[in-house]
Formats: sequence, structure tokens, C-alpha cells
Amino acid sequence: MVSQEKSLPRKDVEGRAATTPPQLRPASATSPLRRILIVNAILALAFFAFPGGLVEWLDERNTTGWLEAPLTLARGIDAVSAATGVKALGQGLRKRFSSVIGTGED
Amino acid sequence: MLFPTIDFGLFFALSLALVWSLNSHNNLKKVVLLALSLAFYASWNWRFLLLLLASGAISYLVGLYVDAAAARPYRRAVLTLGVALDLGILAYFKYLDFFIAQVLTLAHDLGLNPSIAFVNVTLPVAISFMTFHAISYIIDVFRGRLAASRSPVDILLYISFFPHLVAGPIVRAHEFLPQLASPRNAGDFSFGENMLLILGGLFKKMVIANYLAVRFVDPVFTDPSQFSRFDLVMAVYAYAIQIYADFSAYTDIAIGVAALLGYRFPQNFNQPYRALGIGDFWRRWHMTLSTWLRDYLYIPLGGNRHGAFATARNLMLTMLLGGLWHGANWTFLIWGGMHGAALIADHSWRRSVAFARYGTGGLAKIVDWALTFHFVCFAWLFFRSPSLDSATQYLLGIWTDNGAQSTMPGIVPPLIACGALTQFVPPQTRAVLGAMLDDRGAVAQAAFGFAILYFVIVMAPSASAPFIYFQF
Repeated sequence: MVSQEKSLPRKDVEGRAATTPPQLRPASATSPLRRILIVNAILALAFFAFPGGLVEWLDERNTTGWLEAPLTLARGIDAVSAATGVKALGQGLRKRFSSVIGTGED
Repeated sequence: MLFPTIDFGLFFALSLALVWSLNSHNNLKKVVLLALSLAFYASWNWRFLLLLLASGAISYLVGLYVDAAAARPYRRAVLTLGVALDLGILAYFKYLDFFIAQVLTLAHDLGLNPSIAFVNVTLPVAISFMTFHAISYIIDVFRGRLAASRSPVDILLYISFFPHLVAGPIVRAHEFLPQLASPRNAGDFSFGENMLLILGGLFKKMVIANYLAVRFVDPVFTDPSQFSRFDLVMAVYAYAIQIYADFSAYTDIAIGVAALLGYRFPQNFNQPYRALGIGDFWRRWHMTLSTWLRDYLYIPLGGNRHGAFATARNLMLTMLLGGLWHGANWTFLIWGGMHGAALIADHSWRRSVAFARYGTGGLAKIVDWALTFHFVCFAWLFFRSPSLDSATQYLLGIWTDNGAQSTMPGIVPPLIACGALTQFVPPQTRAVLGAMLDDRGAVAQAAFGFAILYFVIVMAPSASAPFIYFQF
């Protein structure tokens, strides 16, 4: 580390530091809006697959009733997820995985 | 607000939309980013916002005064005052009680009974990282490496930018401030690569680090007297993997989140357990701390320019202070001292005739790797132990076996193997996979991201350990 300042110039260290060097990418892949939509889609799908966490999260923070509307929406998502079997699939896989590794949780 | 939580998921989605919608109004965007960062920090304890604002104000004012372009009197004195104020805040919150405890112990041993009270203050989250960012800025301005910023928003944003605020990486002012000058271009960053970085970080933290901590490492280090020699030894290796998975996960997510917001952070890890020698380890582990210590401590102390003794002294001082930076505890000081001694030995060995003759062959490299890895693991034992007594008890347990049966859960060896595997993934893998992902349509990208996140959630334990570096 610190002993190498002569043999390892600062420029070299910083040159390696860049995580993703600029390069040409397809125009569609560089649109911020598209990235925002994809991130939101991933989060929305995760909430749909595991709706219990979001309902619980909103419920804990709804002490004065100010989150009633999003909580109602989350409970609706929870109901649809349960009705379509998506929620049960996620819960089942978690239970199965924890039994395979021997934690016995959930 | 921890990274792998619903809170942060919602916060990040909001930040991403706000930041890019304001990209063409750069000044407004910076104000919004600053507000988001302050809100992020306030989510732990809003009272400490004052500390953050004070640190920003000190850096801003000192920076303006000590700017190398301005021929002002007493520049060095003002710089010293600025550094002393930053370190004073750190010392008050982090080290004062430790110092008082040592004085009281010494006084008690001498038969004295001084009336010194502990200050009992809550340690503010991120104070060590905040201090290092602030010091980096004023010293770089003093050295003429960058011009003092006229914008207090820029300085505060540099210190408080939420992806790096709590546990790094330590971003240098000259790396970050120029990025605030103009609107960002999303095309400079691969979406696929940074999505993989974030999802990989979630896997390392939520699956590898959490299971190892909750199921094995935490119980063993809490009461080592209850565990067998085998378990005690395995828990040290498990902790080596846990701390790597935990800390590198945090910085991977921080780097990925910053990149999706349009800002570049430096690399912080480079497969550290492949290191050949302790010097090499510190070029791969917490690289931003290593370079910070090198540039602002080791080189100002004289570096390796004044002979073997001075070099050894400077290495030891740097590593002792680097150890103490992690926390006010003798265990961190010992950990730093061990690494200091190892660096001195490493430094001498690599400059010796014997190394030139015997140290470069294949077998020598295997021995080099094995010695380095096991030394690093042994030093982690002190780093992880809550106290010196506990570390001693741990070592005694390894010596005596405690007469206990092994209770190591079966999940531990596969998790250690999985963590070890991350050290051998070719460095270009993520870039190649990211580029492949960039070429796919939005639906495929979302589906891929969701699939990975789904399996991480399926595999993650219900209980979660906090990020290790939050306490620093």
C-alpha cells in the first residue's frame, strides 16, 4: 500500500479506479427515462411477488392514517398476488430454501 | 436507511426520477441532490445534520482561504486549523470516552481517583468517512490540486452525497467536484453493468454476509468459550469472507447507485484475498482508504524517502492510525499494528537479494499467497473481537479446544466457498455481461433484473446483520 508511492504513481491508481469507462452504447440504452422505467418495473415486480413486506412497511408508518391510500393500494396488490398464486410461490420457495439449508425460519 | 431495504428502494426510485428530470437544470439538480442526501442522513438522526452542515461550512471557508492560487498570509496555519477542527469533531464523538477510560485506568493503577466523567455521546453515523472527505478537500485545495469551490452547495454535496455518505468509498474532491460542473450524460455509464453491480452487491450482502453473520460468526465471537477449536478456526475464515462480502457489497451498491444517477466513484476492492504480500493486499482492500492514508498521512510523514528506519516508522504510524480510524478500541489498534509490522517486513523482503533470487518462482508465489491470506485472517480475529479480553479468550479456545463439539451449520462451507469464488471471477466478466444486457430490450432488462432480485429475496434470511462499516 503506502510504501509504493514511487513505484505506483497516483495516476495509475486512479486510472484503474474508473468503474465503467465511457463507450458507445445503443441510443435506446442511454435514455434516462428508460432506465427509470426499468428500475421502477423491477421494484414493482418485486413488491408484487413479495407484497407482505410492503404492506407491513406501510402499516408500521401509518400511525396517523396519512398512508391510508398507499396502504389500501398495497393491500389490493397483496390480494391480487395471493389470488394469482404469485405470493404463495415466493413464500413457498423461501420456506423450501430455508428448510434445505436448515434454518427452519418462515 | 440501509441499502437492502424497502425504504432505500423507494428513496432510490424517487431520487433517480428527480435527478434525471432536472438534469438540464444543473444548479437546481444539485440542490435537490443535496436535499435528498441530507434527508438520507437525517433518517438515522436528524440532530446530526448540524454536524454535517458544520463540516461542510468548515471545508467551504477554509477551502476559500487556503486556495493555492491566492497569495494569502497564514495559509498553512488556516489549513492546520481546518484539519484540527475536522479531527476535533471526530475525536470528541469517537475517541474522547476511550481516552477518558484509559486515563481513569492508569490513574486507578497509580492509586489516584480523579473526577473525570465520560461524555457519553452517541456516535454519529458516517463521522469517520465524513471527516476524511472534508480533510481531503481542504488539503487538495491547499496543494493546488483543485481550485476552491465557490459553491457551498457543491462542497456540502461532495461531503454528504448519499451513495458514499455512510460507508464510502472515500471519493476524493478532485474526482467528484468536476462532475458537478455540468449536466450528466447517462450514456457514459453502462446500465447493464451497474445493474449487475447493484444486484451482485445485494446477493453478497443479503445472502453470503447475512447468513455467515447470523448463523455462525456472531454467535461464535459473542461467546467463544462455548465453541470447539474447529468452530473457532472456521469462524475466523467465515468472518474473512463475511467482512469482504459485506463491505464490498456496500461499495458495489454505492458505485452502482451513483453511476445510475450519473456520477463516477472510484473502485474500492480488487479481489483482495488473491494478494501476494501485505503491500499487495492493501492495494486491493479498501483501496480508497489505502490511497487516502498514503497521500494524506504516509507521504507527509516522509514516506520512504528518508531511509529504512523512517520508512518503517512511517508505515507503523500510518497503520496504527488507520486501525484507530476504525474505532476507539485496543483491538483495532492491535489490528493496525499487526498490519504495520507485516508491511514493514513485506517492504524489506521485497527489496532484499533473497527475494530477487527465491521469491519470484511459482512455489514462492503459492507460499506468499498462503502466508498473506492466513495472516490477514488471523488479524481479522482481533478486528472482529469486541474487546481484548474476548480476543484472548478466543485464542485460548483455539489452544485448549474448550472441550466442545462442533456445531457449525452445514451452510457455512458452501457460503465460504461461494465468497471465495468471487476472488477468482475474471475482472472483465461484469463488463462483458453488462454490455450484453445493454444490447437487450427494456423488457428483457427488467425481467433479468427482477429474476436476480427474486432469487436474492428467496435466499435471504429473515434476520439481517447491519453493514459492518456503518459503525465506523
